[in-house]
Amino acid sequence: MSTPATRTYERFPLARRIEHWTMMLSFTILAITGLPQKFPASELSIAFVYILGGIENLRMIHHFAAIVMMLGTAWHLLVFGYLGYVRRTRLSMLPNLQDMKDGWQALLYNIGRAKTPPQMGRYTFEEKMEYWAFVWGAIIMGLTGFMMWNPLTTTRLLPGEAIPAAKAAHGGEALLAVLAIIIWHMYGVHIKRFNKSMFTGRISEQEMLHEHPLELADVKAGIAERPVDTVALRKRQRIYLPVATVLALFMLLGIYGFVSAEETALTTVERQAPTVVVFVPWTATPAPTQTPTSPPTETALPTATPNATQLAAGSSTPGVASALTWDNSIGAMFQAKCASCHGAGALGGLNLSTHSDAMQGGASGPVIIAGDGANSLLVTRQKAGNHPGQLTPEEIAQVIEWIDAGALEK
Amino acid sequence: MRNWFKAKRPQLGLTGLVLGALLLLIVMTLSTIPVAAAPQSQDEPPTDETCLACHQQEGMTAQIGGQPLPITIDPEKFSTSVHGTEEVACVDCHTNITGFPHPEVTASSPRDFSLELYPTCQECHLEQYEKTLDSVHQRALAAGNNNAAVCTDCHNPHTQTRLTDKTTGELLLGARLVVPQTCAKCHSTIYETYRQSVHGAALTEEGNQYVPTCIDCHGVHDIGDPTSNSFRNSTPYLCANCHTNETLMKQFGISTNVLNTYVADFHGTTVKMFEENYPDQPTNKPVCTDCHGVHDIMRPDNPEAGIAFKKNLLVKCQQCHPDATTASFTDSWMSHYEPSPQVFPLVFFVNLFYKIFIPAVLGGMILFVLTDVYRRFIMRRAPAKGESHE
Repeated sequence: MSTPATRTYERFPLARRIEHWTMMLSFTILAITGLPQKFPASELSIAFVYILGGIENLRMIHHFAAIVMMLGTAWHLLVFGYLGYVRRTRLSMLPNLQDMKDGWQALLYNIGRAKTPPQMGRYTFEEKMEYWAFVWGAIIMGLTGFMMWNPLTTTRLLPGEAIPAAKAAHGGEALLAVLAIIIWHMYGVHIKRFNKSMFTGRISEQEMLHEHPLELADVKAGIAERPVDTVALRKRQRIYLPVATVLALFMLLGIYGFVSAEETALTTVERQAPTVVVFVPWTATPAPTQTPTSPPTETALPTATPNATQLAAGSSTPGVASALTWDNSIGAMFQAKCASCHGAGALGGLNLSTHSDAMQGGASGPVIIAGDGANSLLVTRQKAGNHPGQLTPEEIAQVIEWIDAGALEK
Repeated sequence: MRNWFKAKRPQLGLTGLVLGALLLLIVMTLSTIPVAAAPQSQDEPPTDETCLACHQQEGMTAQIGGQPLPITIDPEKFSTSVHGTEEVACVDCHTNITGFPHPEVTASSPRDFSLELYPTCQECHLEQYEKTLDSVHQRALAAGNNNAAVCTDCHNPHTQTRLTDKTTGELLLGARLVVPQTCAKCHSTIYETYRQSVHGAALTEEGNQYVPTCIDCHGVHDIGDPTSNSFRNSTPYLCANCHTNETLMKQFGISTNVLNTYVADFHGTTVKMFEENYPDQPTNKPVCTDCHGVHDIMRPDNPEAGIAFKKNLLVKCQQCHPDATTASFTDSWMSHYEPSPQVFPLVFFVNLFYKIFIPAVLGGMILFVLTDVYRRFIMRRAPAKGESHE
């Protein structure tokens, strides 16, 4: 027989350990995919979401982990039914008044106000507290999770406000759960003393003595497990099997319904982008065109062709060269060819509207030196060419002739 | 966050434009007129006076490719334009005009002529010009759409008045009033929609300059593609530029909690995280405009279609949730409210519960753990007065 120092007792059979690891994994995944959604403004969240392939991916993982946890819970309920009904094991996880007393005594002992720590059984008050906190959390998270997962279904039964309220509760409860695990579970199981029983499944006698002395006593006394009547056990097993099957089916169906109750809240339809006709110009083209009043040739531009010929024709009629005067031809010629600039506008000070104005000249002085056509500024400018409102050579000749003859008005 | 609102208003380089256009006009007129060309170099470039001598005449047009191009310049308007006041000369833009007759016009149409000439603007307005190179207009132009706006379509170089403060570059008071009309030259239906929106009505009817005009959302010269994913994804921040501005919103009596309440909600959380990671990818989660509209944004309490009314909001919900049929579904969105005992009390009290419950539970746990640490790790090491704790 082994000594008390090496003797160990079974604490968690393999199936329970697998269950624990499954729940632990899904819990962790839910936490790390859920918290970034609770704190979307945090840089850390954003980086994390990026690592996990984006928010939609993150949600898929979150939902997947939730399904795993739901399945784990269903399994746990079936096991609970088996242990409670078929095996008739003691319901050692149920909380009772003694747990409160134990907790109080533990506190007093810690601060030196009690001489001994509480003597506890298979599950200490710390373990029970954590277990029932998990149960509470699972219920809250499951309910609120369903509401967020299926808002359309939910709002057919409840007011719409239930959805944001569910979101608030889901987030609050999540934060509580994660922090409680970090503080309570981490300290109680990993820090104050590294508890290996969830890995090995076993617990040493020393540990039993310190942490579960009442259970150890029961084990030693042989009353830890109730005596099993094999016949009755078989009978209950035969009853429980179909019941458990039905229960399992119902739970699976429930999970299926949970996941697939509605479509359009999860996979919303493709966004219909509004279409707008973009280019609808106001009346005219971007550069508003003034409708031309008449063909451009008829505008009072210094156009050479039509008026010039007219003029030439007109000037040739009298036949007598010396008959050229301002009134009978030169004035009209200037009016037609020069007035745009050298009319009332008097570009460069030169106004050729009337004979007297013309004789006054412009900013550069007189442009007409009576009797000296060749040296008149008007003629030299025109002869140089390229003047806006250019006179034809014939017209220039007429002007010279007119000036040479004294640039008469009449 | 994008700095939409402050998109720097350009120093409108209109001088160059005005001149350019002037020159163009001259060129065109003259080029269409068969004048005995006696090309002779003139040392002095023509003065504005010279140009205007002809071009101030009313009704002048030039024919380019058989289409008329008006080439009359109103001397009054030009002299009061920013180019006129800055003494930009006609030939500063119309650089190829050195006298009369003007050189032959090679453009095939008046539009073509504008397109040939507008790059002259960059001589003075390089910054703005380069911005336009990134714009949706420039892209359309490059794709062969000659109707796409270039500098001179928005800023008539011969009449454009000063839009920005000369020293600060800030948009002048009053400038905002003309922006929508400018865009409307090409986007008239959108303008009509905008004019009836809460923003547009305030601007066009009341002359309120604190409401957004086209450029506040779309930018000025580097106008982006408003149909792009990145533009849509950034919409919440775009709207928030004004709608989270306390001083600005105070005069309208509007809450500034619109962005944080949006981001706190499922849709906003998604878009926020999505936008951060994949700004260019499409998401089907709604942004501001999906419920409030784009150019047709109206007051939420508009009796006809305001989304403060459940029946109107439900229509918006159904765009993405066609199975949503109950009005109570609309309450699952808190309409930018912060939960309070009066509004969304259930949410308020759930939050309140956890605000108390979490610290209470955790506080208790921490206290207990601390006492355990004290007993286990501190007391044990202390030379116990002959007492054994184990």
